[in-house]
Amino acid sequence: MTTTHTRAPSAETKAPRRSALLQRDWSLLAQRLGALGIILALWQAAVLTGLLPSITPTVPEVTLGLWTAVTSTSFWTALGQTLSAATAGWIISCVLGVFLGLLIGPLRWLDRSTSVTVEFGRAFPTIALMPVILLLLGATTSMQITMVVLSALWPVLVQSILGARRLDPGIADTVRIYRIPRLLWFRRVLLPSALPFVTTGVRIAASISILAAVGIEVLTQVPGIGRMITLAQEAQRWDLAFAYLFFAGLFGWTVTALLARAESSLLAWNRQASG
Amino acid sequence: MTAPQSIHTGSLDVLGGEVLLDVSHVSMGYGDGEHEKRILEDLNLKVGHSEFVSIVGPSGVGKTTLLRGLSGLLPPKRGTVSVAGQTITGPHPDIAAVFQDYSRSLMPWMTTRENVAFPLQGQGVGRRERNRRAEESLEEVGLSGQGDKYPWEMSGGMQQRVAIARALAYHAKVLLMDEPFASVDAQTRFDLEDLVVNLREALGVTIVLVTHDVDEAIYLADRVIVIAEKPATVVDVIETGFGTVRDQVDTKADPRFQDARGRILTRLRKA
Amino acid sequence: MKTLIRAGWTLWLPVLLVTIWWFASANSTNIYVPSLSRIVEVLWRDISSGLLIDAARVSLTNLAVGLLIAAAVGILLGLLIGETRRLRLILDPYIHFFRSVPQSALVPLIIGAMGIGAAPKIYTVAFACVWPILLNTIDGVRGVEPTIRSVSRVFGVPKLLYFRRVVLPGAMPQVVAGLRVALPIGIVVMVVSELFASNQGLGFYILNSSATFQIPETWGGALMVGVIGYIIVIMFSLFERRVLSWYFRSGAL
Repeated sequence: MTTTHTRAPSAETKAPRRSALLQRDWSLLAQRLGALGIILALWQAAVLTGLLPSITPTVPEVTLGLWTAVTSTSFWTALGQTLSAATAGWIISCVLGVFLGLLIGPLRWLDRSTSVTVEFGRAFPTIALMPVILLLLGATTSMQITMVVLSALWPVLVQSILGARRLDPGIADTVRIYRIPRLLWFRRVLLPSALPFVTTGVRIAASISILAAVGIEVLTQVPGIGRMITLAQEAQRWDLAFAYLFFAGLFGWTVTALLARAESSLLAWNRQASG
Repeated sequence: MTAPQSIHTGSLDVLGGEVLLDVSHVSMGYGDGEHEKRILEDLNLKVGHSEFVSIVGPSGVGKTTLLRGLSGLLPPKRGTVSVAGQTITGPHPDIAAVFQDYSRSLMPWMTTRENVAFPLQGQGVGRRERNRRAEESLEEVGLSGQGDKYPWEMSGGMQQRVAIARALAYHAKVLLMDEPFASVDAQTRFDLEDLVVNLREALGVTIVLVTHDVDEAIYLADRVIVIAEKPATVVDVIETGFGTVRDQVDTKADPRFQDARGRILTRLRKA
Repeated sequence: MKTLIRAGWTLWLPVLLVTIWWFASANSTNIYVPSLSRIVEVLWRDISSGLLIDAARVSLTNLAVGLLIAAAVGILLGLLIGETRRLRLILDPYIHFFRSVPQSALVPLIIGAMGIGAAPKIYTVAFACVWPILLNTIDGVRGVEPTIRSVSRVFGVPKLLYFRRVVLPGAMPQVVAGLRVALPIGIVVMVVSELFASNQGLGFYILNSSATFQIPETWGGALMVGVIGYIIVIMFSLFERRVLSWYFRSGAL
């Protein structure tokens, strides 16, 4: 891997640039911190002047709330519960969506037959089914996972179908000429070819999984970080409620960042080949 | 030795020896019944062992369709294609192919070696053996030691060498080539042409090449089949009589080359 | 004839699924799974009495106002931040952070703080939807051809005209993409906020039905929301095709 002249800007060329940026740009960091200070000051001012509802906690209160949250076991338990439900639903969605999508995408008759159904499923706001699913399954973790799957399945499915559809005709001919067996074709040709699209679906599904898992907790008795927020709000512990919200955001941000990183290393070939 | 300095009108049959590829009364087309669009009408052609046959015709005459028929990708409307006495009903282990769009037939997520070894993996060849054969084939096309590169790290000419290596590693008896050198620059094209000539001599593979480039067809082939008209039919067959060795300068200066060239171009202009 | 065959190919599966549901649920003894015919019956009853129409009007108004606020704020801030490199660098991590907050978690906070009326629902929708619009607008502004930029500068195009006639149209494909992302989020947040606490709207209809054990109504309300959501998304993609026809035709896709 010594030829670099044909490469588009990639992770490798980006890394040194980023560290250069860090060295050069202490001022950026300072400005970012400054901006944070301004945001917090504005918030504090808004609370004190009554621009925000009077129950809104002040900055010191939320800071204290953050500390209370991190040091309490119930917070970590709740985070774990949300995380495991979201992850379980996400994994099921991914496996199911990729499998079905790669099955449907290459077969034109199946693709055409399922298009309306898939479109409907994707556009359907699944959360509306929650009361019905709640009646059927009760406020349980399996209900929560079901809801997560019903919400997160669609982006993976749609993206996998798109990915499988675009298999290059040249490659399709090659695979036929050399009589590649079905299973090997699936694993070594169709899957990698569809991967750039699949990963996008997987990434969207991850955000939706968290959104759905937290939403279910907010609306029902299912335990987790969403439930903690509702409970804190009901108990008028606004400092804690904001702290939990902050961690929910941090959690979502971490997941997105990790997935984006995994994706760019998994798809190095794609960036090179098309760039 | 004084070679006969004139070209012969060839035959659609083999001169002597065994028939390897037998194309019998093949018609190709799309659609059915009244809506049928006939592309190719009643082609008969026999190709012998280690023979190099070019099929030349103007763009859009249906050469690619013909090649898809020979490779088993598209079943003929009528007639049969058989290889080594066996009628083919689809892609066949004795037939390999190299397409025009090399960049689209190589898989960008596989290294060069994996690309070459992939058909063998499909035949259940073990990892060591298929890597050995892949390395061997890469060496034959002049890419030894390049197995760890990805296709997109290579030039167009090198990518096409990889596609040829993949066909060689498959150990097929017949190698079909569809405009294999159409997307590379002139110098690379000459290099690849000579590579194919040398491979034919060294390995004794049988090659059927489809092209719209008259010079290339004559330069490479023992027999040139000229197809034209709609639906396409054979309008001329020429035997070049160059033997197995070629030279980009000498062969192309040979009066037989010039004769054949003039004859084919005149014939195609009429069509 | 050909279109008929095509319609057959695309529609047989949905028709089959609904038929199966219809007959499989016809003699359902599970009180939580009413027959489809019963669901359709109560849906029709409540639509023709105007009950569901009113509820839908309330919900959709909240959604539309929330989205409009989000679009206005998101696009304006996006143009500003996108054009100012420094500002973009400084604010980037914060925008991404707010974008990552699971929007449904906002519901108890905003409704808890502001009460049960329409305003908190509109704010929740607006807050949830503003981030994808903002992020996409910033990306769109950044993507405007540098040549077009310098041409505008050379000709001394006034700042306001420059924003309105150069940057905004150039960023439009991305802005619309942001709206497309924001729309389903808005619908979900609208439903969650109404299911959380409300006294009118589609979510209230569902919530109220389930609380009073009117199971067919619960199912009917859920289906109604789903179908409305589906129609909105489909209509949006038609709108997108129209607004961005130059973009699709230029083959920039």
